[in-house]
Amino acid sequence: MNEDQLIALEGALDDEGLLFTRDDDEDAFRIAFKSEGDRYFIVSYRDDPNFVMIGSGWALPTEIELADANDVANALNVRKKFVKTAVWEDERDVLFTVELCVTSTDEVRPHFGRLLDVLRDTAVEFFEELR
Amino acid sequence: MPPLVRDTIAKFIENEGHRVDVSPLDEEGGITEILFRTRGQVFSITTYENNPAIYTISTAYEVPEWARESRQNADILRQVELDHPDVRFVLAHDGALFVATSEEEPGSPEAFTRAFWDTVGRVREAGSHCVERILDRSESKAAADKFISSFMKGER
Repeated sequence: MNEDQLIALEGALDDEGLLFTRDDDEDAFRIAFKSEGDRYFIVSYRDDPNFVMIGSGWALPTEIELADANDVANALNVRKKFVKTAVWEDERDVLFTVELCVTSTDEVRPHFGRLLDVLRDTAVEFFEELR
Repeated sequence: MPPLVRDTIAKFIENEGHRVDVSPLDEEGGITEILFRTRGQVFSITTYENNPAIYTISTAYEVPEWARESRQNADILRQVELDHPDVRFVLAHDGALFVATSEEEPGSPEAFTRAFWDTVGRVREAGSHCVERILDRSESKAAADKFISSFMKGER
């Protein structure tokens, strides 16, 4: 499937007044953007056009214990709508992602602001809990 | 020659990921408005080339038609100002919207950009507080009116 699945989300970013760049390759369609200085990405795979992921990745400060980070991530996964929080232990990164199954990304466009809010809020809560 | 204040601020906001719309308000006076959008809300920054130490940041909120009781809402704005003393509120367009404004004196463009998102957040929080108060009061009043109306009809 080579149709660009992310065109509708470019529109969503326009709606939000956000700038973005495209970084497609042979496997995936990708958008990178920032909001209030924080970096986000959107990915959709060419061989799985019904899957779309919006996310952000953050480095874990060295003073944070991985076990504590995992506990907080688990608590957020229990409580939060839409967002999956995952600690990537090898890299000491934490990923916040919204993963959706859609017929078309047009379905996501009207809800994009809400999804971005919940991604942002989850990251803030994660680091506040660990402070 | 140092860069224009408006260019420094506009470039900062763009680098943070947001489209900007730069409109000179007074070319001779060096006053410029920079508009950008974040979290669904349009914000306006006013810059002054003659005084790079001061800035104004504003955002407008629409008041739902059913909640446009200007006198009551003016009272609420004054009350909320007490909780957020660095933000001023003004009703506009016959009460159809109100504008939340903070006048900042960070001292320099660099200092302004360092605290930029905190300032935006502060104005947004104050504005949201106002909206909540206006809606709460209107809904309470509507509920009270409904109750009184029912009571007068002898239904209670």
